[in-house]
Amino acid sequence: MADDVFDAIVIGAGVAGSSAAYRLAKAGLQVVLIERGPFPGSKNLSGGVLYGRILHELIPNFWETAPVERAITNQVVSFLSADSSINLDFKTERFNQPPYNGFTVLRARFDRWLAEQAEAAGAMLVPGIKVDGVIKRDGKVVGVTADSEEMLARVVIAADGANSFIAQQAGLRDKIPTGHAGVGVKEVIGLPRDVIEERFHLTGNEGAAYNIVGYATRGVPGGGFLYTNLDSISVGLVIHLEELVERQLKPAEIFEDFLAHPMIAPLIKGGKMLEYGAHLVPEGGLKMMPPLAADGLLLVGDAAGLGVNNGFVVRGMDLAIGSALAAANTIIKAHKDNDFSAARLNAYPRRLARSFVLQDMHTYARAVDFMKNERLFGAYPELLANVLTDIYRQEALPKKNLVPTLLNNLKTSKISLFDLVKDVLAGGRAV
Amino acid sequence: MKIVVCAKLAPDASDIEVRSDGTISLERAEWRIGSFDLQAIEAAVRLRELNGGSVTALSVGPLRINNSKLRKDLLSRGPDELVLVADDKLLNADTSVTARVLAAAVQKIGGIDLVLTGEGSSDLYFQQAGLQLGELLEQPVFNAVSRIEAAGGSLNVERSLENETEVLDVPLPAVLAVTTDIHTPRLPNMKEILLASRKPVLEWTLEDLALADGEKQRVETVSLRAPHPVERKRILIEGSAEEAAEALTAYLSKEGVL
Amino acid sequence: MAANTDIFLFSEKPVLQAELISAAHTLTAQTGGQVIALVLGPRPDAELAFKQGAQQVFWLGELPPDRLVDDVVPTIAAAVQTHQPFGVLIGATVRGRAVAGRLSARLGVAALTDVLEFQWEKENLLARHMVFGGGAVRVDRPLTQPVIATIGSGIFDASTSLTETSDTIQSIDWVEPAWQAKLIERRARGGGSVNLAIAKRVVCLGRGVAQQEDLAMIEELAQILSAEVACTRPLAEGLGWLPRERYIGISGAMIKPDLYLGIGVSGQAQHTIGMSESRVVVAINKDRNAPLVAQSDYAIEGDLYQVVPALIRTLKARKGK
Ligand SMILES: Cc1cc2nc3c(=O)[nH]c(=O)nc-3n(C[C@H](O)[C@H](O)[C@H](O)COP(=O)(O)OP(=O)(O)OC[C@H]3O[C@@H](n4cnc5c(N)ncnc54)[C@H](O)[C@@H]3O)c2cc1C
Ligand SMILES: Cc1cc2nc3c(=O)[nH]c(=O)nc-3n(C[C@H](O)[C@H](O)[C@H](O)COP(=O)(O)OP(=O)(O)OC[C@H]3O[C@@H](n4cnc5c(N)ncnc54)[C@H](O)[C@@H]3O)c2cc1C
Ligand SMILES: Nc1ncnc2c1ncn2[C@@H]1O[C@H](COP(=O)(O)O)[C@@H](O)[C@H]1O
Repeated sequence: MADDVFDAIVIGAGVAGSSAAYRLAKAGLQVVLIERGPFPGSKNLSGGVLYGRILHELIPNFWETAPVERAITNQVVSFLSADSSINLDFKTERFNQPPYNGFTVLRARFDRWLAEQAEAAGAMLVPGIKVDGVIKRDGKVVGVTADSEEMLARVVIAADGANSFIAQQAGLRDKIPTGHAGVGVKEVIGLPRDVIEERFHLTGNEGAAYNIVGYATRGVPGGGFLYTNLDSISVGLVIHLEELVERQLKPAEIFEDFLAHPMIAPLIKGGKMLEYGAHLVPEGGLKMMPPLAADGLLLVGDAAGLGVNNGFVVRGMDLAIGSALAAANTIIKAHKDNDFSAARLNAYPRRLARSFVLQDMHTYARAVDFMKNERLFGAYPELLANVLTDIYRQEALPKKNLVPTLLNNLKTSKISLFDLVKDVLAGGRAV
Repeated sequence: MKIVVCAKLAPDASDIEVRSDGTISLERAEWRIGSFDLQAIEAAVRLRELNGGSVTALSVGPLRINNSKLRKDLLSRGPDELVLVADDKLLNADTSVTARVLAAAVQKIGGIDLVLTGEGSSDLYFQQAGLQLGELLEQPVFNAVSRIEAAGGSLNVERSLENETEVLDVPLPAVLAVTTDIHTPRLPNMKEILLASRKPVLEWTLEDLALADGEKQRVETVSLRAPHPVERKRILIEGSAEEAAEALTAYLSKEGVL
Repeated sequence: MAANTDIFLFSEKPVLQAELISAAHTLTAQTGGQVIALVLGPRPDAELAFKQGAQQVFWLGELPPDRLVDDVVPTIAAAVQTHQPFGVLIGATVRGRAVAGRLSARLGVAALTDVLEFQWEKENLLARHMVFGGGAVRVDRPLTQPVIATIGSGIFDASTSLTETSDTIQSIDWVEPAWQAKLIERRARGGGSVNLAIAKRVVCLGRGVAQQEDLAMIEELAQILSAEVACTRPLAEGLGWLPRERYIGISGAMIKPDLYLGIGVSGQAQHTIGMSESRVVVAINKDRNAPLVAQSDYAIEGDLYQVVPALIRTLKARKGK
């Protein structure tokens, strides 16, 4: 079989790769799914909340068989100052019934399951092999190499994640400039099921998801998150890389502080650290999207720079699946008409543009810059905290009403009224 | 030469979790091919490459050993086929039960010239199953085998003992337990991994081996706990080599161990 | 309970035999039987067994040079069947393991391997040993008799408490095995025979030692400390710089010296369970985070190629005084 030519080779069995392989195999194509880890998900500490609508399209009612942890019914946004926190708490039962809104997942289990579905559908999973690069013959990608071994296919899908060496080696993009990337730090902390449920007021499989801005990142643009799994908690930060480098801050340090913050500490108290990891997250939105298709090669998921990270939301898995679907459908059509020309494969970006994936990317595009606004992560939470402190502090003096209280604090804070107004408008447009 | 190689699939010791009460949990542990069985597989495959014949991988254990990942992992390392005796009665089987099930399986496969086992299973590491298997089959059986060469109807075998090496001529059929340094196991490549998913896998139960009652255990495990570490002074000596040497010498003479 | 309460023991190595005899005594203290040594070798070895504290000696005769120790299995099996002992203790050498495994399969009983300690739970015997490469301690109860157990060197100290003995050596008839492997040759492996178990001081080298030539340096240090040289498994097993009997750990020797000096040893569980009962543990390692450092009384953080020569100088100077 040395000179077999497969219909498709998928590089990387993350959510994007396995979704693509699954779809292609279902359609009867001969597809090979190559994963460098000893098993899919083994290297993957990222992810947390999977917004599941798109996976439901690919694998109807996936939650019945997939190793999902909890259905997100509490969505909380918290603003932290050094010693206070303000929470916007949104709880709805609507999210606790099919098709659900989002689930917490642990990638080591989830990715493995998804790859198994692809395998069951007929995809040939090849774990423990790191693809070194693509093979090009007169400009066209015709296969991949892994330690001097060649494997040929009519089309290759790069689903190898945020760093995508494959896309780089194929010349579709450069290394992610720090200005367009965030670094994600994450820890999984083990806690007994009942402890989690009472700490977060959850019953059954309900789950809570916190997105945390402000002091969480010591004012560096980015955000923190805390998700409840069945018997563990995923907690982490996604921090804008450029700022981090400029301010010469170490993610680990910020993370330590974050975990020690009076709002976070009690939530993870008594837990046992199970996993720790850091990972690159594309953050630049549309600006940094490489061409998604070349002759014989398609990029999906993080490899294609598809990710939304605006402090309030960290999203990527659903976009990864969405892009994988669009790519797979393009290939299935190409296969039907037996035409794998570059022109044909270029239908993929167009498909993607019509799908929710790029539309959401557009929606959030402005957010990225908005989020880089220090005030949002430093001064505002501080300001709000002070205002609220004044409002709630019991004193002998008669209470001023809100406006003067705010203006008062505004004076003492480093924010000009003009900035405030400007940001409010910008924010309104962005988030 | 028709070869069977025995490999145990077991929870990875590095995934052990110690509970607060000192007992251990393997719930989160990843199941793998025993790290000392890989060398046995490699030895079997090399013998086939040199002398022709076939290699059948054999593993017995609870149902969970029968999954695509482990099957592929075993077969991508070179065996031609895989026999799995998977039955939850075999969860925590003791060595004598394991040896009896292995023996029954080897007999059912039939016409085997050589059975290889690893040095020890990665979980128990009793270094016993192979020897018991050989005796049950009433065949020549040796452990600590560090070299095997086919010599006509028999094998020329090197055996590494504590402080000497024995070279033996072992008649076939035989059972040999190899050392971990007999060969460095190969890493499967893409094509071998792809081939693996097309190789035959025979799935047997204890019924198929007429061992329906699961064979009676001869050992009962009373407790399984994490070892409690000995308290140590933990004095870290830094500074230049000379200073450190001085300091240590002082400490040791105070301890009276010089 | 078995009709008989005696304990058999068999070791191809006289040193280990002494330890097995004292182990057997701890058992007969409970069963009330006698300690009976099965001896394969020249008659003086059989007499030695008495001096080591055996109460009876069954002499299996001398092994012809062209025969294998393994060939003794049917003979021991026969002795066990006629005499019905409560237990059979076997020295956990490579050959000892083979004998134990084959014997247990023949007799249809369990073999308890690398026993670290025996306990009694009423009249039930329990045995403690390591599993998961030192990651866990397991206590097992054998459900069959005779109880066959292998014991490594250094687990029981050979405290020869001389008891009154029958001094008559009983000869056992040799039973020919059903099959035989031909012995082509025996090659001694360098390093010479040692018993680390009784060493008062042990210098143990690990993979931190870059090349075989550097052993000289370590040996010099050992000599000044009048210590035995031991190693971690990779040096004996993979690299073959030292004979197997010189490596310490779960699959090697168990030691409890007054001083253990680990040089370039990381201290993985499989190794440390072999030395964790040393009185004073010293580590020389360039990595302060190496597990052994955390499990030592004194640790020098530094390059062994500087520290060891310095240590040799200091110790020499000290001796000089
Ligand atoms: C800290 C953090 C938190 C996040 N939280 C969320 C969240 O809550 N919700 C959400 O939707 N998204 C979240 N994301 C984003 C999400 O994880 C990614 O968008 C998603 O994983 C992208 O999937 P992918 O399949 O494209 O890439 P990946 O999941 O990175 O998968 C790439 C796969 O390819 C393999 N691979 C790489 N190179 C090679 C090679 N050369 N050969 C073979 N295989 C290779 C890798 O081993 C890996 O399995 C988070 C990210 C981070 C870092
Ligand atoms: C089932 C099983 C059984 C095993 N049985 C045993 C056993 O019985 N005994 C045993 O020993 N092992 C055993 N092993 C192997 C064991 O797991 C470890 O691999 C082994 O003990 C490591 O040996 P090491 O410390 O010499 O080498 P390494 O782990 O490679 O450690 C080398 C150390 O040297 C240090 N170092 C390097 N260079 C220098 C320098 N210039 N100066 C100072 N320090 C330096 C390094 O920091 C490192 O800490 C077993 C393994 C398994 C799985
Ligand atoms: N359940 C099993 N299935 C297949 N082979 C086994 C099994 N258990 C032990 N073996 C083989 O027997 C050898 C010794 O096992 P042990 O006596 O448990 O150390 C191992 O290295 C394997 O080759």
